[in-house]
Amino acid sequence: MSEIEHEGTPHATRRQVIVGAALLGAGAAVGGGLLTGCGDDDSGGDGATTERQETLYLAGWQWGPPPSWNPCSPTASFPVQGRQMQLIYESLFMFNLLDSQLEPQLGASFEQEAVGITVKMQTDAKWRDGEPVTAADVVYTWDLGQRNKDVYWSASWEYLESVTEVDEHTVLFTFKPDNVNPGMVKTAMCETWILPKHLWEDYEQANPKIMEFANDNPVGSGPYTVKSGDAQQLIFERNDDYWGKGVRGKLPGPKRIVHPIFKDNAAGDLAFERGEVDVMQQFTPQIWKMWQDKKKPVGTWFTEPPYYIPGGMPMLVPNTSKPGLSNPKVRRALAFSIDYARIAEQAMSKYSDPVNSSLILPKGSDAQYFDEANVAEHGWKYDPEQAKKILEEELGATKDSDGVYVLPDGTKLGGWKLQTPTGWTDWQTAIQVVAESAKKVGFGIELDYPQANQLTPNVQTGNFDLVLWYIGAQTTAATPWQRYRDVMDKRGTLPIGQNSYYNYGRFEHPEVPALLDAATTATGDELKKLLKQLDTIFMQNAPMIPLMYRPLDFFEYNESVWSGFPNEKDPSAPPTFSGAGMLWLYEISAK
Amino acid sequence: MKLSRFTSRFYVALGIVFLVAFFGTLGPLLFTGKDLTTVVGGLYDAPSGKAWLGTDNLGHDVFTYLMYGTRSSLIVGVISGLIATFIGVVVGTVAGYVGGAVEETLMAATNIMLAIPQIVVLVLISVALDSRSVTSVAIVIAVTSWPWTARAVRAQASSVRTREHLDIARLSGANTVSIIVFDVLPYMLSYVVMVFVLQISIAILSEAALSLLGLGPSEGTSLGLMLHWALAWESVRNSAWWAFVPPTIMLTMVAFGFLLLQSSLDEVFNPRLRRDSGRKRRKRIASARTAAEAAEAATTSGSGA
Repeated sequence: MSEIEHEGTPHATRRQVIVGAALLGAGAAVGGGLLTGCGDDDSGGDGATTERQETLYLAGWQWGPPPSWNPCSPTASFPVQGRQMQLIYESLFMFNLLDSQLEPQLGASFEQEAVGITVKMQTDAKWRDGEPVTAADVVYTWDLGQRNKDVYWSASWEYLESVTEVDEHTVLFTFKPDNVNPGMVKTAMCETWILPKHLWEDYEQANPKIMEFANDNPVGSGPYTVKSGDAQQLIFERNDDYWGKGVRGKLPGPKRIVHPIFKDNAAGDLAFERGEVDVMQQFTPQIWKMWQDKKKPVGTWFTEPPYYIPGGMPMLVPNTSKPGLSNPKVRRALAFSIDYARIAEQAMSKYSDPVNSSLILPKGSDAQYFDEANVAEHGWKYDPEQAKKILEEELGATKDSDGVYVLPDGTKLGGWKLQTPTGWTDWQTAIQVVAESAKKVGFGIELDYPQANQLTPNVQTGNFDLVLWYIGAQTTAATPWQRYRDVMDKRGTLPIGQNSYYNYGRFEHPEVPALLDAATTATGDELKKLLKQLDTIFMQNAPMIPLMYRPLDFFEYNESVWSGFPNEKDPSAPPTFSGAGMLWLYEISAK
Repeated sequence: MKLSRFTSRFYVALGIVFLVAFFGTLGPLLFTGKDLTTVVGGLYDAPSGKAWLGTDNLGHDVFTYLMYGTRSSLIVGVISGLIATFIGVVVGTVAGYVGGAVEETLMAATNIMLAIPQIVVLVLISVALDSRSVTSVAIVIAVTSWPWTARAVRAQASSVRTREHLDIARLSGANTVSIIVFDVLPYMLSYVVMVFVLQISIAILSEAALSLLGLGPSEGTSLGLMLHWALAWESVRNSAWWAFVPPTIMLTMVAFGFLLLQSSLDEVFNPRLRRDSGRKRRKRIASARTAAEAAEAATTSGSGA
């Protein structure tokens, strides 16, 4: 009877629960990374100690097997991708975050005149294959950027009339007469890898689409060479014949640099805490606990909050073509309703001071332009009452039954989707704070975390309501000017639906272009005055809302094996991997 | 049904389920003063009088989140359980009772669904959804978890189909729907109840798995989402146990409670699995032996006659 029919079922049903539990387990393994962080250990074997002492483990740049070693490609492997570490390829100069100076690299010195910049190059610089690095290589590199509009340094041609060889070791960068912008040209000189003409002419001939070229054996002028690269790790070996030895008097400390490929931040952080990684660029929540509670030899630039030197500001970008968000007063009310101190404390794990409503960093080389009085007068800060006042008194908005404000013309200040990529935990948490605090005032904001590669094209084409995104300008030879261009300049952007690489919200203001143009060549007090005017327009219109300060690189080190990393007390090099940051490689030594 | 048929296992299971349900539904009403947006501290503050279970990465009270998280998990479980059981029972009964080409078609579809790993379908559908509410997550789980129910119910229905009382129903002119509802379903009801309980438990675990991957409800919280953020903010490395231990325990309690309830109900409905106290069992075995001996005696005496 019925008992008999039941007999087989308990097994089947229990199995379903086990499957359910297994699904949960799979979820934990995929999403969590509890079980990772082991297995990258290749330092074992005989002679392990000496080998470990010759090897620097570095992490935080590469999260998969190397796609290519082609510096033209935006997806190239660490470190040949633009603006990464100058291990293989080198630029003319290196930007120093600490004093905003350009440090010599392939270029020895430069002279800026009204028409352009003359660069004197190092005379003994050599490629790894022994050929000399000459002015012809520099000219060739810029020409390549002119022929191929999709390589990242081709944008510098916006400001360049020509790049010409004066003699074997001298190059002249001539400004475009109608768009003189020395800052952007200097930034390009710092961020463009110089390529060997004698090899790349052949590469270009063999590969009509140079972006797709794999460049399996990259020949650069830098101090390291690629030994191997796979899904587990990238290995770079020092080139003991490096030309820079003559100029700097020594070689970089580590004989070998290994970049282990971790599954996610958590796995990398764990290895770092255990001393399996010496130095890295990763967001590590509550890093101070490593030295305060766990007494690990770990350090960052400052030993107190904010621990890192600020280098950029991620922006909350409103799409100014959307109803409601098109109104500057609504954007300002939104800006007043965000709890910036909470973002700094919780989303950024204290790695940021509460952000000011200015595009100028209040610390570092920007500080000379920061005008506190102007920010207090025109800017915003966390003040929900002020936000309500703007909405109710200035705009005449009323609250709907669901607690969301509606403008007199019927536009609802809600139903907006605020996005940032999934996995970017600090930013995801930051927009949670934004949504929570904006909701308390009376904005309706929904959160969404798409994949980064899904969101990027949407941001560039303007297909979004609100997004937390970075602006190209962090801290370079062209900032703070470049930040104003990236936030407020409508020129050079295409209409919604087509790609634009700055001013994603398509903000427009009649006074901005003239001020920006005047500021490119201005210096001293005149520059200060222009920046103040631009900053005031920024604060009155809130085209974007800075949410936090972010370091250029999250530079953190563990001195279990190597010591001599730079910090506030020993500022031997800027705490970065890009630009002049690589100079700390010459300062560190194994214990 | 006399109450004495329930085992102590059943009461323990019911106790756990009720405890969890009370915590999730009445908790927020009892411990008022904090809601999901109340900020009581900083990033991972340790437990204190102000926050009994510490704070999460956004300075929210973990205890409050645990109550609301339990509530969402239960809501997902019940909605998904109801829908999945309904689809499974309808498909299974129709296939089992009607038979023929209908059965072949429905079972082919069921088998195809069974062959695709559930987590893959779950992840794909969740990624495709623009914004996910608690209800839509429940529905997504339901539409991927009914097939095994359909298969098991079909087996039962096709066995019930051959029973004699159905012939009488047919002879008296009842139509197919009425036969299924009044003459087939009641015979499988005990099984359907167990399936429902099990579906709830599976749905809660599936929701936790989805949330761990960051594909859970985009509004509010759930036990899985709490674990997701605890992992993302590396609470394990920073030994902020209060961020991940409470939701894990709660999740275990929920899943364990429902599983225990299901297996104890199984005992109630199926006397063969019943585990009585030793005295009762001995008594039953003894009486069975007496009956067997009597029967044997009867046979022997019969043959002897």
